[in-house]
Amino acid sequence: MQTVKITVNGALYEETIPARMLLVDFLRDRLALTGTHVGCTHEGVCGACTIHLDGEAVKSCMMLAVQADGHAVTTVEGLARNQELSVLQKSFREHHGLQCGFCTPGILMNMTDFLARHPNPSDEEIRQGLIGNLCRCTGYVHIVKAVREASKTLASTAG
Amino acid sequence: MDIQIQDSKHWMGARLERKEDLRLVSGQGKYLADIVLPGMLHAVFVRSEYAHARITGIDTSAARAMPGVVDVITGEEIKAHVKSMRQPVLLPNLPAKYPDYHALAVDRVKFHGEPVALVIARDKYLAEDAAEMVVVDYEELPVVVDAEKALAPGAPQIHDEQPGNEMFAMTFTGGATPEEQQRNDEEVERIFKSADVVVSHRFRVHRTGITPMEPRGVLCDWNMSDGLTAYITTQRPHIDRLALIDILDIPGEKVRVIAPRDQGGGFGVKAPFFRENVVISYAARKIGRPVRWIESRYESLMNVGQERDQINDLDVAATKDGKLLAMRNRGIANNGTGQTGVYWGFVMPFLGQVEMPNVYTWEKGDVKLRVATTNKACLTPSRAFGHLPTRFALERSVDMVARRIGMEPSDLRRKNMVPKLPYTTITGEYYDSGDFLKVWDNLMTNIDLPAFRREQAAARAQGRYIGIGFACGAELSGVASELLVPMENQPGYGAATVRIDPRGKVLIFGGDAPGGQGHETTTAQVVAAVFGINPADSVVTTGDTGSTPFGAGTIGARAGSYFVSAVHKACSELKEKITHVMAHDFGLRATAEEFAFTNGDVIYLRDPSKRKTFREIVERIIMFPVNLPEGEVGGLEATAFFEAAKPMICFNADFCIVEVNPDTGEFKIKRWVTSEDVGNVINQNIVDGQMHGAIVQGLSNVIFEEFIYTDEGQQLTADFENYKMATAADVPDIELTYASTPCPHTPLGTRGIGEGRPSSIPGALCNAVCDALSPFGIEITELPLRPSSLWAKIRDAKAARS
Repeated sequence: MQTVKITVNGALYEETIPARMLLVDFLRDRLALTGTHVGCTHEGVCGACTIHLDGEAVKSCMMLAVQADGHAVTTVEGLARNQELSVLQKSFREHHGLQCGFCTPGILMNMTDFLARHPNPSDEEIRQGLIGNLCRCTGYVHIVKAVREASKTLASTAG
Repeated sequence: MDIQIQDSKHWMGARLERKEDLRLVSGQGKYLADIVLPGMLHAVFVRSEYAHARITGIDTSAARAMPGVVDVITGEEIKAHVKSMRQPVLLPNLPAKYPDYHALAVDRVKFHGEPVALVIARDKYLAEDAAEMVVVDYEELPVVVDAEKALAPGAPQIHDEQPGNEMFAMTFTGGATPEEQQRNDEEVERIFKSADVVVSHRFRVHRTGITPMEPRGVLCDWNMSDGLTAYITTQRPHIDRLALIDILDIPGEKVRVIAPRDQGGGFGVKAPFFRENVVISYAARKIGRPVRWIESRYESLMNVGQERDQINDLDVAATKDGKLLAMRNRGIANNGTGQTGVYWGFVMPFLGQVEMPNVYTWEKGDVKLRVATTNKACLTPSRAFGHLPTRFALERSVDMVARRIGMEPSDLRRKNMVPKLPYTTITGEYYDSGDFLKVWDNLMTNIDLPAFRREQAAARAQGRYIGIGFACGAELSGVASELLVPMENQPGYGAATVRIDPRGKVLIFGGDAPGGQGHETTTAQVVAAVFGINPADSVVTTGDTGSTPFGAGTIGARAGSYFVSAVHKACSELKEKITHVMAHDFGLRATAEEFAFTNGDVIYLRDPSKRKTFREIVERIIMFPVNLPEGEVGGLEATAFFEAAKPMICFNADFCIVEVNPDTGEFKIKRWVTSEDVGNVINQNIVDGQMHGAIVQGLSNVIFEEFIYTDEGQQLTADFENYKMATAADVPDIELTYASTPCPHTPLGTRGIGEGRPSSIPGALCNAVCDALSPFGIEITELPLRPSSLWAKIRDAKAARS
């Protein structure tokens, strides 16, 4: 057992956990933040568990919670501010960028990071940016559209 | 009346944002793995390492001795306390040789991944550790994984009930008796002997399917007073409930099944009744604490989501001017062990043969199927239920006929399409309504074919190979009782309870269990259109057998056809009652049609000053049921059942343009265009999304996904590194177009859509690749379609030419 201090969505948690506990289980089972999902056997392929570690998109099934000691984590629950959805979250609603929604939290976390790095992406760049997330329902068409439209909105509000 | 019609139009077809999405984009969805009960224990299955072996011993002592381990359950214990899985509720009314089996393997294991024992512990990490400490001794038995080898004399016998490993065989054409069928087959043979053109090929489609992103899971809670509450990732909670009642022998009033409101996709994979449901229910009852099992991806890919896996030896006869005459097919399906309730694997290839003729007029057909039992996991339903392989075979054959006689494949298709509906095919499938030619002609407006041929010729002159491929498919729009009773031993009707709340809100209860289809939104749009209220004013509950009427499940595109029709019917009954009371209160002799429900008001059209808000009138009927019309009582709740008289369909057509690199076999899809008959649309976004998803699933099946077994039955593709699904970067954008005909058999003209949609994808894609490579005379007859196999074909063709 080991005691860790991890900031999650702005709140500091000090928890004593087994050294082998995966970060995704820490978030889901210890903190009851169940928006972060598990869709593969901890292989890092499906991307449903994607979170931000110090602002960077990472797969929380590929990390031990103790590795996040002293770091700041953001999960899908932390994207909305003051009950207001982020531009990307709104865009997914508006453009039907999700169906079952199981992969969606991971995609939102990945694409939030992606849009910060690629403010004006082409469709091809968005598709390349999504290769770390599997979606079974949408055929990706509306996901690409939602990301593209969000990038336009972000550009217009930033400018 | 105009007011009401405007209102209906407003909500019907709108691209309304989904009601589901606020919670789903903010991480507040509640999927099965998010449900936690106090005192909950965690279960892990021990699964067979062998494809066929005798269990000579199971030593659970080391596992039991570990701290935190609560229990270890084996097949012998299950056999002693629980009935076997072959119970009547789970048996189709089709003459198959159904193998009996227990929820955990007893004596023998028959496929790699079969559940052998269950370990239950206080913590999931502990349960995983303990599962590794369970020692199972096996004595290996001969394995057969190939369908034809399994059917050959001398093959290892898998189930005692199935001599020769034949689970099911059927003739789909020519009549009910063997004599009639033989006469038919002779007539078919005569047509083939005199036909101008005969195309004969063996078509193989590999084992692949649709894997939902959320694996399966079961959480069971037991107490002596209420009995069993089982949360199951399922598309058909009501059937699961009946099966649990019968298998565990629990009185019906003590079993409640809840499919969580949020489910991470189903696509058919969560439609069967699985043995894991029984084991977890048994464990919860025995231990008296909640027990939860969350399937790992590894287990999921080992056990479910495997479909297709058919050989179809298809002959097609045609005239030299392109009239299709007759088909003869010998299907062989590789069913695996067939140990899955409701479908037993073979129901999919059964329906695949029924759907073989597609939308073409055939004079005669001779269609037969054999289903082999092998040491693979049982086939599980996967979207395009059973007919992705048969449609691939047929749509490829149609192109080969066209090439033989020098006709455009698109012209040949149009020439042979059923010109007028209704129509019954040579296999007895009923096509109720629609206009195939309208859909087809709409598709063709998206391409200037002569111009494309000129472009193709010019490209070839430069050493570039581009091609165009077409395919189409009639798909089931819901499954009528007429088909569902024989196929799955259950009714097909849609059912819904509509309860109006005294505050003017509407609560809808449905027994189906969606997994991303957007029932909460489409249903609310229908209710809004009927009552003239806002979709925000209604809330839909699905999946809970404790509160919903019996529903056959979210299967076979039933939502747009059966479920919303039942909702509409229940709403209409309530509307009738509301107007009856309104007329009485205003002292009018008025019929229901003389009232408009619009913008939250109910208005007497002949005198619009006579009006009430929807909330006022419903509150009056529910809360103040005095001075009612004679014979009327208070309250506003109705349950309605909807059944169309005959099965219904939707229809779709595709073309795609590809470019193939002849040096590497790599190919790129440059355009994908569709034309759809989806009937009247409730929510255009949702319909578009269904099509996109289905088409990409089809592409992913054809190009990437493949379950691979060794000759020893070892499954090599139990993770997403090895079972490769299409990513966003692997697939094209999709251009959808619509040429719909309202369905005359549903109250709103809607059709159920999306389920069968992937079936035309392999045909269209492979036809395009073959068209591109026609100078090499390459015909694709096997899937998956991989650059490596295409490169080998090009190399062989070049070698043969030189």
